[in-house]
Amino acid sequence: MKKFLAILLAAVMVFSLAACGGGEKNPSGDSKAASLNVCIASEPDTIDPALNSAVDGATLCVHLFQGLAKWEKDSTGKLSIVADAAKELTKGVKNADGTVTYTYTLKDGLKWSDGKDVTANDFVFAWNRAASAELAADYGYMFEVVSGYDKVSETKVKVDDNGQPVLNEDGEEVVEPANPDAKLDVKAVDDKTIEVTLATDASYWNELLAFPCYFPVREDVVSNEAWATEADTYVCNGPYTIDSWTHKSVITLKKNPNFIDADSITMDTINFYLSDDANNMLTNFKNGDWQLIDDVPTNEIETLKKDYPDEFFVEGQIGTYYVSWNINQNLLPKSSKLTGEEAEKAQAEIRNAMSLLLDRNYIVEKVAQGGQVPASSFVAMGMTNPDGTQFYETAGDKAKNGYVGYFDVSAESFEANCNKAVEILKKYYTYDEATKKFTDVPELTYLYNTNEGHKAVAEYIQGALANYGITLQLENQEWNTFLNTRKAGDYAAARNGWLADYNDPISFLDMWITDSGNNDVQFGKGANKNLKLYDLDLTPYGYDTKVTGGTWAETYDVLIKTIKTCEDNEVRYKLMHLAEDMLMSTGCITPLYFYTDLFMLSKSVDGFFSNPLGYKYFMYCTLK
Amino acid sequence: MDSKTLGYILKRIALAVLTVWVVITITFFVMHAVPGGPFMSEKAISGAAKAALEAKYGLDKPLFQQYLTYLKDIVTKFDFGPSLKQRGRQVTTIILDGLKVSVKLGLIAAFTALITGVVLGAVAALRRNKIIDRVIMVITTAFVSMPSFIMGSLLLIIFAIKFHILPANGSTTKGLILPVITLALYPMAYITRLTRSSMLDVLGQDYIRTAKAKGVSGKNIIFRHALKNSLIPVITYFGPMLAYIVTGSLVVEQIFAVPGIGRDFVTSITGRDYPLIMGTTIVLATLIVVMNLVGDILYKVIDPRINLE
Repeated sequence: MKKFLAILLAAVMVFSLAACGGGEKNPSGDSKAASLNVCIASEPDTIDPALNSAVDGATLCVHLFQGLAKWEKDSTGKLSIVADAAKELTKGVKNADGTVTYTYTLKDGLKWSDGKDVTANDFVFAWNRAASAELAADYGYMFEVVSGYDKVSETKVKVDDNGQPVLNEDGEEVVEPANPDAKLDVKAVDDKTIEVTLATDASYWNELLAFPCYFPVREDVVSNEAWATEADTYVCNGPYTIDSWTHKSVITLKKNPNFIDADSITMDTINFYLSDDANNMLTNFKNGDWQLIDDVPTNEIETLKKDYPDEFFVEGQIGTYYVSWNINQNLLPKSSKLTGEEAEKAQAEIRNAMSLLLDRNYIVEKVAQGGQVPASSFVAMGMTNPDGTQFYETAGDKAKNGYVGYFDVSAESFEANCNKAVEILKKYYTYDEATKKFTDVPELTYLYNTNEGHKAVAEYIQGALANYGITLQLENQEWNTFLNTRKAGDYAAARNGWLADYNDPISFLDMWITDSGNNDVQFGKGANKNLKLYDLDLTPYGYDTKVTGGTWAETYDVLIKTIKTCEDNEVRYKLMHLAEDMLMSTGCITPLYFYTDLFMLSKSVDGFFSNPLGYKYFMYCTLK
Repeated sequence: MDSKTLGYILKRIALAVLTVWVVITITFFVMHAVPGGPFMSEKAISGAAKAALEAKYGLDKPLFQQYLTYLKDIVTKFDFGPSLKQRGRQVTTIILDGLKVSVKLGLIAAFTALITGVVLGAVAALRRNKIIDRVIMVITTAFVSMPSFIMGSLLLIIFAIKFHILPANGSTTKGLILPVITLALYPMAYITRLTRSSMLDVLGQDYIRTAKAKGVSGKNIIFRHALKNSLIPVITYFGPMLAYIVTGSLVVEQIFAVPGIGRDFVTSITGRDYPLIMGTTIVLATLIVVMNLVGDILYKVIDPRINLE
């Protein structure tokens, strides 16, 4: 028996050794130099700076590339945009036709990770590539401000040989680029000088220059379509290069010796572990293997706050969690005789009243539990006015109402809000004084995507409305199906959320124009298309526009267009507040809370920072 | 090999190919029938961009034509196409990357389970009703009834957090120890029980008594006669078990963040990454079909009494 066991054991050992023979090296074990282990998400869909549209991908890109500008934290802890590959961030020069031209000079000695020089042409090529219909990047529209983008993005209906429009399987017309050879108005004057013309000056232009899709890429590198999927084909120009990439496991970044500012980079190696399992992340953080994790299990938040007061962080993130209503959903009781504009006016009031019945403080403290901030407006916390004050703190009419936003979101006023809501709803529904409930509110369905957190919020809303006799059925759908249903407007009310792409309120406002792909509310579509009940008066701001009783397209769409071409920043912000006023008056957006970014960072790490868009910066970290 | 066996094997292979084809066809059409699409995201892309992407990946063609093109590419070029989500990566590369890890994990777990299971089962049978038999039976009952996510979490708490002797992340070789154990415990317990009962059955057979009567040594009886015959049910179980372990390690891969194929299987579906859905389904279906086939054929090789028809 002993001999038999011995043979078996030997066999197991030999087999195990053979099976393990791949000989992967432990990425954290080999060096004496400073090395950091972090986990921000699972395998990124792409780390091609032009194609990336995710926050985790952007974090990798800012470590791997150097754009004309970058985010920096100064000694006082203030974040700002400073020149990076450019010698300085120049001011634009206004042209006769209203366009604005910026000229940038590249610093001397800029190199790609393979040793070749970085030239102005690399930027020109990269920008045209990122904006092109051919690449079809999610963030192609980030070049909207650049002159020439309208031509690049223009589409026409595709026709077959007989001149008939081509239809897809859903019966919709297929479109194709109208000007396939169009380019952006950007050129390389010489190897070091870039000249770019903007259609109109954008106050957030410098910030765009620090955005990944504005980073340079080299034509010969990206001609290989798979260039950004393996370490050995990935050529970049930033503080780091990819040393190794074990897919779905770990991406190891090493300091780029060719980087012009390499001396300022204090962290030699960063291992980005790829996982999206919050429990696994937490285990690795707890046992000290990982120094930063970007997610924690929701049910652990309370404990972690107590157990790790110095290592548990809640930071602002520019985003809003809200309920979107389908504007074409009938909310009136059967007995109601209201139609057309009258009906929609009533429904706007009803939606706003129902919004008052929700206790945001309870949602934040007891349901979401992640340090979120109760919201009473749509444009998220973190967006700033030109004078540096918070946009959300100047939303609504504080001077008149005495509170910030479009209703008083403080815990003390919740009861008063509810009473107010009941009074409004009484105008349209039958109220039973005995049970204190409405009896004829049509049954509604709330749609959310399958997820424990969203479910908890949905159940809270259901309960809160049930107190007043309003029945809300809950329906959950798998993510992709949910997106499809919500975009198609095939719902009554739905969970929604929006994270800003850049630090300008317009990124929250232009999504609601009629033809926007994100117009889940269906403003200006379906029955709402012909309703003439919106007003727009721009005369106080120096414009001729004054519309009384116009459609959504005649008012809101016009307002957004005006904002996008407005050059006086003061006025522009006033117009953006006006747009939010208009949006909120429809009641179709019920803000619940402003998002926060939760993460755990080991006490042993110094020099870490993140920007308002959620990108995390590890290059200046040191270990204690 | 006689012609009857050969005929049987050929017939089984033909059936296997047919099964895989049916799986391909059903998956292809069901996947396209599900609402949503690969270019759907919280932030909508422009109509032009969507059209450009659909044209690039041939999704603007009629569905049946897409199906025929797909079949042709697989059969003639063994080409699963590009991933629609992980831009620039080929499905074949993604699957091979994941499969390498999953198969390694699965094989180590399977053989660990087989060897320990057979040894423990044989010991239990030979020491029937003694204390060691009882202990083995109690432990294996526990392992058979405990789901892998509980076992995995338990091992994590003990070895990764409490004593901190093994990593919680399964991306390194050392990190594979915990997932292997988690994955192996269930089949190990099952094999132990299978071996024990089958060994007890064999030990009661006439030929064992004859051998004893003829004075064959105990060791010889166990290894030459008893063990060999009692392994037949274990071997038939081993094929499907291998497929189950390699494909079914999804939960374990998630708990330990092992970069295997399990994650692709799930994320490809939520992301409507059509070529990756097809690729993972085909590979896993083929794996299961082949393992079953091998199991059945081995069965015949080991026990010639079995009639394949």
